[in-house]
Amino acid sequence: MVYLDTIEEWHRQSALLLQARPTTARITTKYKIPNLATPKYQKPRKRKREDGAEEKDAAAPKVPKAWLVLKTYDPASGVVLKFKTDRQADVGRLITGLGRLGRHMAALPAKAEAPIDTIMDDATTTMEASAGPAAKQSAPAETKQQQQTAGGGGGGGKKKKKGKK
Amino acid sequence: MAGHLSADDFFTQLASLIEKTQHKGHGSVHLTQKRLTFDANAAPAAPQKVADDPLWDLQPPNPLPLIVRATDGKSQSKDRVKNKDKVKLSTIVQPDDVEAFFGRYAEVCKAGMQSLKKRDRSKRKKDKGKKKKGPGGA
Repeated sequence: MVYLDTIEEWHRQSALLLQARPTTARITTKYKIPNLATPKYQKPRKRKREDGAEEKDAAAPKVPKAWLVLKTYDPASGVVLKFKTDRQADVGRLITGLGRLGRHMAALPAKAEAPIDTIMDDATTTMEASAGPAAKQSAPAETKQQQQTAGGGGGGGKKKKKGKK
Repeated sequence: MAGHLSADDFFTQLASLIEKTQHKGHGSVHLTQKRLTFDANAAPAAPQKVADDPLWDLQPPNPLPLIVRATDGKSQSKDRVKNKDKVKLSTIVQPDDVEAFFGRYAEVCKAGMQSLKKRDRSKRKKDKGKKKKGPGGA
């Protein structure tokens, strides 16, 4: 359950995941406006009251601020890649990204516009060319684990390295 | 669950779903997309999972459709009662329509998701010492 730092990183990792698990991986977009009346958002205020401060000052902001979470999840390997934003300006970019990832899902050839895509193509071909079935079986799972734990940083798995070589 | 909607109906209802959430002041909208591998109308060549090869699905012969779903399933009402009449929408996107679909999808989402942080242009203007240069300046 790691949040990746940038859209680009999320998109890149998600694309790799979709390359590896096109059938099982799914992308969920959650648009959430918090309910400020729930206890979760009441706690801080209560604490301040106990401290003896005024009652209403620390009240939560009147207008709830929404956020957007993108999540790529693959139940087969258990990988979760998430990205969170609260900026309106990101929406367009994100959905364009969803469209690009949608092409992977639909098994359409990726458009040659982005360098990301070419890297990924390499990764797939190398992956298919090498490794016997036995190696294949264990490799994806390990890679996913690495990606998951490594998160945004250098979260590269075996596949990615293969692609680069 | 009702059958899949056409793209037009999906967008209309999605827009109203987001609008409803927006109007209510809280809640969430979940949008999901994944490859459609199950065909209710007698799948002729539904890809069979090959036990020996974990990479069985990497190179399907034909492009596959996507299924896009939308729901407000986990939203609560003001008094925190579980959402009883949740809305569930789904539509199937054929491979040829992917681009057009996501174009409209972006429009609907951009129009609907108004509670996100707006791009703040006012500060920049002040820094530059300029007066109003129109809201859509840059």
